[in-house]
Amino acid sequence: MSHRLGSMQTLPSPMRRFKESDTVDYCIVGVGSAGGVLVQRLARAGFRVVGLEAGPFWDTEKDWVSDEKGSHDLYWNDLRITGGTHPLALGANNSGKGVGGGSVHWAAFAPRFHPSDFRVYSEDGVGVDWPISYWDLKPYYELLEREIPIAGPAWFPWGDPHGHPYGPHPLGGVGDVLVRGCTDLGIRSVAGGPVAILSASHGDRPHCIYRGFCLQGCKVGAKASTLITHVPDALTHGAEIRPHSMAAKISLREDGRVDGVLYIDREGQEHFQRARAVIVSGYAIETPRLLLNSACPGHRHGVANSSGTLGKYLMAQAGNVVAGRFEELIRLYKAPPAHALTEEFYETDPRRGFARGFAVQTVGPLPIAFAKQMAAAMGAWGWGMRRVMMDYNHWATLGVLGEILPWEDNRVELADEKDQHGLPVAKVTFNLHDNDKKLIEFGKNKVMEIMWAAGAKQVVQESRFAHLVGAARMGSDPSTSVVDKFGRTHDIPNLFACDGSILPTQGSANPGLTIQALAARTADYLIKQAGAIFYSNHRDMSEPEIRYDLSPPYTRFKGKPRIA
Amino acid sequence: MTRKSFPFLATGGELKELEQPSYYAGYSTMAQKKSWEEATRKAVIDRVEKPPTIRFFSQEEAVLLGAVIDRVMPQDDRAEGRTIPILPILDERLYKNSLNGFRYEDMPPDQEAYRLAAKAIEEMAHERFGETFLARTVNRQELILKSLHDGKPEPNHAVWQKMPVHRFWAMLMEDCVTAYYSHPWAWDEIGFGGPAYPRGYMRLENGLPEPWEKDEQHYEWNAPVDSLSQLEEEGIPPERGSLHGHGGSH
Repeated sequence: MSHRLGSMQTLPSPMRRFKESDTVDYCIVGVGSAGGVLVQRLARAGFRVVGLEAGPFWDTEKDWVSDEKGSHDLYWNDLRITGGTHPLALGANNSGKGVGGGSVHWAAFAPRFHPSDFRVYSEDGVGVDWPISYWDLKPYYELLEREIPIAGPAWFPWGDPHGHPYGPHPLGGVGDVLVRGCTDLGIRSVAGGPVAILSASHGDRPHCIYRGFCLQGCKVGAKASTLITHVPDALTHGAEIRPHSMAAKISLREDGRVDGVLYIDREGQEHFQRARAVIVSGYAIETPRLLLNSACPGHRHGVANSSGTLGKYLMAQAGNVVAGRFEELIRLYKAPPAHALTEEFYETDPRRGFARGFAVQTVGPLPIAFAKQMAAAMGAWGWGMRRVMMDYNHWATLGVLGEILPWEDNRVELADEKDQHGLPVAKVTFNLHDNDKKLIEFGKNKVMEIMWAAGAKQVVQESRFAHLVGAARMGSDPSTSVVDKFGRTHDIPNLFACDGSILPTQGSANPGLTIQALAARTADYLIKQAGAIFYSNHRDMSEPEIRYDLSPPYTRFKGKPRIA
Repeated sequence: MTRKSFPFLATGGELKELEQPSYYAGYSTMAQKKSWEEATRKAVIDRVEKPPTIRFFSQEEAVLLGAVIDRVMPQDDRAEGRTIPILPILDERLYKNSLNGFRYEDMPPDQEAYRLAAKAIEEMAHERFGETFLARTVNRQELILKSLHDGKPEPNHAVWQKMPVHRFWAMLMEDCVTAYYSHPWAWDEIGFGGPAYPRGYMRLENGLPEPWEKDEQHYEWNAPVDSLSQLEEEGIPPERGSLHGHGGSH
């Protein structure tokens, strides 16, 4: 049977295979949200491209199940050490393994960052400004919103107001709670998106069937992951994606340029992929880990770390979950977990006593995730756990998504422990600072207020975190950042990083859309500047032109947002 | 596996034994298996029909931890043959070294944590009541476990000096609820729809049931009234953040 990608698509076959001795133009390490977009763009532009992916190349019909526990293998489950005053839960919470990466199991909320997110230091005196503005990225937001494509309200009123190419989804019980509670308090809300889930069929992908298993990998093919939105087009245009290939080391020549990537296959065999340039897209833990593990003479503290900031300024968002028990039935397992939100509290409000803000979003934990939340939020165990779970269908859950600022002491380092390949694992340290604590306290209380206003009879909350970005941040100053505004490392002319790790700050928006938009922009730069990148150390900082001609099929100029 | 809670009967009234505890009488996820696709059907049927055998824990550890799990995730109200395997799922995870992607810097590896905890719980029972944990009444077993739940081991044991008790408790809870609430009989119990591809749902609002789902019929909660693991309405636990894996939310 053919390799299935969702219920309608199949993998284009046969895939191109480069020879062991071939030198490719671009080698991309990690085929996730950013890597999938990069591979597709570069292949379409005619480059010889290999994507190394540590996990499997999913056949969604065979490998994925409509089941919570059975979806364990979608996540990066290998050992990592976590610590600090507020240690982050890793694994299923914030990292994927396999083609598509985290986009396979994201909830698929796809809001843009606000213009203020790019200048938080200028506006609020905290964090750091980005080396680009919202307006530099805006055309790429619009482009990716069509390529993914995004369903949502015709009018999204916050940040830079905009519409969405596909119409909003029908409301589920949890979205109804959010809209009801917000309305009662006079807070604006939107429903039915923005989400990277199809509300109508699109090319060779069907529309959503509202089964609620978004976080378990969408077997339907309605929820976007780069596995189904960009990777098929990449293969059609001659890219090779090599699954079960764990990058171990970026290889440097004596002249300070990269010449390839050492990686380990599933049998434990070492291989070397030669490349004219390398882009690391391993996300906020594996990208700094690989660069740190690549330390060599002349780069004793890791590759691209002359600034000493590699691994630092790691961020997670506050992700407190507030659960409310209602007299009436909710059945929170139906409809996409991500489908209604408010960004009314996103921007700094000096009266609140802290900088920056938060969003409020629906979440839809299935029974295992919900039981864990009840263990944490209520101390439920034994008969108490059995009893609270008997009322599973009476609960609704809303999440805080709050901006935690970039701090130098929140970081990724190497631990003493080794993984199955003998590579030192990541040690992640996370501490909350004063502004973060105030923001979380305020956000948590506001969401509890919304839940009460919606009519809940009981309201409890669990403190947790969501998403991961930073740790290889971009900036204009090589002494305080790892990469420039195009993702190129300040230290090595033909080595790039492109994924969530390059974000200088994170706003209160889910990072997926921004990561893909940045990847499309970096791809345009890699295409335009290829000659200079491959054969010189010249660094041209002019903006590349946006390449509208490189979109995957069915998406080009299609579905123009009604309000742009 | 489950030991029936005879000591409850004296104080807590009669515990009705049910084929299927549920407010959704007659609801069965397994009856829907024809509407699931093949990979999911195989995964769920295997879970029901082929629970793994114990390979990681020693016989002694398995018996002790089985008794602990019977209190942490009690099933005394479920009829024989209708209890959900938990220890075998935990054992399989540890045997296969199936991690959840991280370990707290102040915790030993998961396998070692369970071995240490099993030893500590047994020794705590001896010290406090002069008897093996297994021979204790349900109430006394619960006293020991509640002290771990509360983060104040009573009596204190050297193991909890080197392994934070609240982190171990969070891991134990995570393993127990993962095994229990991944089982279709638990889905029937709570009225969860179960696998839903390729059919999907059509009634999204107002908690309405699909044609194959059931309306809710509340009945008086069937559990021992004197158990120490009842929900404490007033007693929300101290805020220390949550310590289990955070998959499945956002």
